[in-house]
Amino acid sequence: MNGICHRILTIGRNTFLDAVRQKFFNALVILSVALIVSSRFFRQFDFGSGELKFIADFGLGAILLFGSILAVVATAQLFYSEIENRTALTILAKPVHRWEFLAGKFLGVFLLLAVFTALMAGILGIMLYWRESSLMDRYGDQFGGQRLVSYAGLAGFAVLQWLKLGVLCAITLFVSSFSNTNLYSVVVSFFVMIICQLQYIARDSWESIGNPALKGLVWGLSLLFPNFQMFNVGDVMLFPHDATEQLSAGTPWMIGGYGVVYIFVFVGLAVFAFRRREI
Amino acid sequence: MDFKRNIWLQRAYTFVVCVCALLLIGLIVSPLQRKAWGEVRSLQPELNLKEVEGALGQGLVIGLLGGFRTIIADMVFIRANVYWEKKDREKTEALINLTTAIDPRPMFFWLNGSRIMAYDIPIWRIREAGGLDDVPKSVQDEIYQEQAQRGIDFIDRAGKYHPGDYRVPLEKAQIYNNKLKDTEKAAEYFLQAYHSEDGPYYTARIYAELLRQMNRQQEAYDFYRQLYNELPDDPQANKPVVLERIRELEDELNTPAMQRLPAQPGERYLPGYMQEDLPIGVKTPFGDTQVPPGEIYPYPEPAAPAGHSH
Repeated sequence: MNGICHRILTIGRNTFLDAVRQKFFNALVILSVALIVSSRFFRQFDFGSGELKFIADFGLGAILLFGSILAVVATAQLFYSEIENRTALTILAKPVHRWEFLAGKFLGVFLLLAVFTALMAGILGIMLYWRESSLMDRYGDQFGGQRLVSYAGLAGFAVLQWLKLGVLCAITLFVSSFSNTNLYSVVVSFFVMIICQLQYIARDSWESIGNPALKGLVWGLSLLFPNFQMFNVGDVMLFPHDATEQLSAGTPWMIGGYGVVYIFVFVGLAVFAFRRREI
Repeated sequence: MDFKRNIWLQRAYTFVVCVCALLLIGLIVSPLQRKAWGEVRSLQPELNLKEVEGALGQGLVIGLLGGFRTIIADMVFIRANVYWEKKDREKTEALINLTTAIDPRPMFFWLNGSRIMAYDIPIWRIREAGGLDDVPKSVQDEIYQEQAQRGIDFIDRAGKYHPGDYRVPLEKAQIYNNKLKDTEKAAEYFLQAYHSEDGPYYTARIYAELLRQMNRQQEAYDFYRQLYNELPDDPQANKPVVLERIRELEDELNTPAMQRLPAQPGERYLPGYMQEDLPIGVKTPFGDTQVPPGEIYPYPEPAAPAGHSH
């Protein structure tokens, strides 16, 4: 057991270091940081939402967009670099199972996503805290002595986003496990991501469809893909005082559990699809 | 057929197993998803995809799905304003609809959108048809009606995302009043706005004035009397204006002295009829004090009235 863990961790660590050294990762981080920090200046384009809400929306959007790009592109790139450089052959020639190789790859990218999400959420938290403090100094009476932003909520939301990106990473790994090119994996994974974002439409509408065949098809589709919209709870978690209704305490845990289940499922399917693949 | 050698058979087998596994997992996590999604769904405004469909080719989807809903809605609204400046009604209207489809949360989009539809676009349409001088009055009226209705339908949709917000009935009331000249409906919505949470006091006064316009003086008077009792001593409530209207209506209706609102502590000049017309022995709130008409009355501290919950 120790040997298995050691091998997975070694592959994971190397994958992570490989990813961190890539220009792509650094460019994405710089871009995301710049976007979050500049949200203050984009404020002049805002027409309706409160300033803190606007900054939060902007920051969370940056985490989600660039995080998704990172999850898909980094996973596909790091997987195919091993195949194309033939290093996968060397690794798998050693007493390393294919599933350990995939688990290590996933672990490396998942760790990379953790660093990315933590960094972005941290910067967003600092931006919000700084702006909220200066607003409180100026309009203290309107705050009623309490902060509007829940920073614990931000941390919780960042964890949920990390899990969501983890599911996306596992999906990309699954697609890569049977596809032949990097580009194909990236494109298909992005499409799957969009389907997952819109899965809720199928889930919400299948019951109202009259045609039995179509109903069955929509129902099947709603079961095939995870529902990414479920992770979209930033507003309620960051601004609990603004929300008319509150998220019950167990719901973030349920969403997190849902994400973990799908991570295991997609990594498991990737292992299954990769088991006979010619490298 | 040798399974191990037939690559297509192997691929089909892998595909079927993967699909079955995903369906099975989907079924297993379905109760968990239903519970969590049910709660999350009730807390987030829906992205109206039917209306976003038309813009799918404009690179919005990734941004939208990526979470930049606020900023993309803002950008689309800026574009709508560019077309508004050019008086391009199709694009303006389409982009306003798109803006609220992307982000229905800011009230700003709904209010401005409905105003553009109800007030600006009919003018553009009349100009397109030949101008105010050349287009027959009946056609102009038809255009005004049609566009006002569009504005009302649009702001009506805001009610779904902002239930109980006074600005929705208020905007409808203004369109009914200013563009459709439907005083009855306008009065109904002004009253609804007043009864909504945070509804401004002036909407109640407009409601009563519209009743007066419809020659329903008695109803207006009764409403003003009730309103006067429930208004707080907040300067924004403008109680003196309400009192002034009550006095006007009492005159218009020739209300007998006994049935008139007694002289109020806040009234600086007691109306003359109060003192002269009262039978001997009947006490006004000021007791038997006889105050000649027009004389400044040394008013006492007004008592705190029961206020409207605003």
